[in-house]
Amino acid sequence: MNIKIEGKPVFAYLVVELEPGETFVAEADAMSSMSAELDMTAKFNGGFLGGIVRKFLGSESMFVNHFTNNTNKTLTVHLTQPTPGDVEIIELNNESYCLESGAYIASDAGVKLGIRWAGFGSLIGGEGLFKLIVSGKGKVAFGGYGGLLHKEINGEYIVDTGHLVGYEPNMKLKPQLAGGIFSSLFGGEGFVTRIEGKGKIWIQSRNVSGLASWINRHL
Amino acid sequence: MENQFEDIKPKGSLDVTIKLRPGSSAAEIKLLPGQEFTAEAGAMIAMSPSIQMQTTTYKKNSGGIMKGLKRMLSGESFFLNHYSAGYEEGTVWLGATQAGDMMVKELNGEGLIVQGGSYVASSPNIEINTNWQGFKSLISKESLFWLNLKGRGTVVFNSFGAIYPIQINGEYIVDTGHIVAFEESLNFTLTKAGKSWLSSILGGEGLVCKFSGTGTVWIQSHNTSTFGYILGPRLKPRK
Repeated sequence: MNIKIEGKPVFAYLVVELEPGETFVAEADAMSSMSAELDMTAKFNGGFLGGIVRKFLGSESMFVNHFTNNTNKTLTVHLTQPTPGDVEIIELNNESYCLESGAYIASDAGVKLGIRWAGFGSLIGGEGLFKLIVSGKGKVAFGGYGGLLHKEINGEYIVDTGHLVGYEPNMKLKPQLAGGIFSSLFGGEGFVTRIEGKGKIWIQSRNVSGLASWINRHL
Repeated sequence: MENQFEDIKPKGSLDVTIKLRPGSSAAEIKLLPGQEFTAEAGAMIAMSPSIQMQTTTYKKNSGGIMKGLKRMLSGESFFLNHYSAGYEEGTVWLGATQAGDMMVKELNGEGLIVQGGSYVASSPNIEINTNWQGFKSLISKESLFWLNLKGRGTVVFNSFGAIYPIQINGEYIVDTGHIVAFEESLNFTLTKAGKSWLSSILGGEGLVCKFSGTGTVWIQSHNTSTFGYILGPRLKPRK
């Protein structure tokens, strides 16, 4: 399998070449174009229960698509994300990683998609109650609105709500006010997320809620 | 000067340069004295003072109301603007609403089908027709209307995101919201994306376009409808 990211960093999308017998998994509606001979099958996202939980409590799609090459030649599929922005690929080697809602785009067939209770704190921070946790062996592609930044943290770090894309499963996320009451209300930051732990976090430079609230002021 | 120009470019061609690609594309069109072109209403961002602008519903001097109405259905503006240089040469800059790329294509008598909304501008001798693709268009989540461009000259179109061409020889599937334009030589059917209808609907792809034959389809990396679906629920109702 050959996975390339084209159009970086503003309009990044994935070009995946599948060899005979290979399967690649992608978020529902991520496919923009593909070889007609490629087989596409919708499957529950993280199992039957996981799919339902993710749909109704995690505000994510219930299904993922499995693209399988059942021919004897190389076939191509192009995959994309809803927002303009960057895409990155991480490689899991029997590790797991947490992705915020909407960040997941695609993964190798050997990667397990699971769900994880995010805590009520996550709801206050404006995120879903459940988080996607990817684990196993293989590549995972995820994207963000705007640019993607990463940071190794050891201890604590603060990320504005809506900008966190991915984090290590051992990390603790706590919503809190950005500053004092005054600066939290008038400084434009409101809630932020305090991250505690060790490992790599991914951050997106823009967020859709920010765009929506700007448009809302003009409606 | 005019002869020199005709030596370089085929007759009817426009001198178009796309700047600021791919994020904030703008088309700079240089007109020689007497030259003119047609553009989507609202696309102009700047122009020389000597350029004359005329607005019609269809072709210059032949504004058909029905043709204009049909074009409005296709997601394009009801009106088209015609820009012409008088005795002086001049420049017109055109932009697009969505962040994304633009493309220039020369037509030599063949036809090009452009998705409603992607059309930016064309030479005056390119015919613009709205083709109703039949009831099969209605059941698609995107409104599948096309502009049929035919003739000799230049066509400019835009996209949401990057544009990539796929040379088809055989069969290829494109999500309906990602099609920018395709060559008339291609046939297409609206069909399911997966093995089964159930998979196609559950997998969020719904109806897709299956192209067959030989020709090029230009695809946009992003989909305005999908972006709209994630933005829309966060917007408050209009007052």
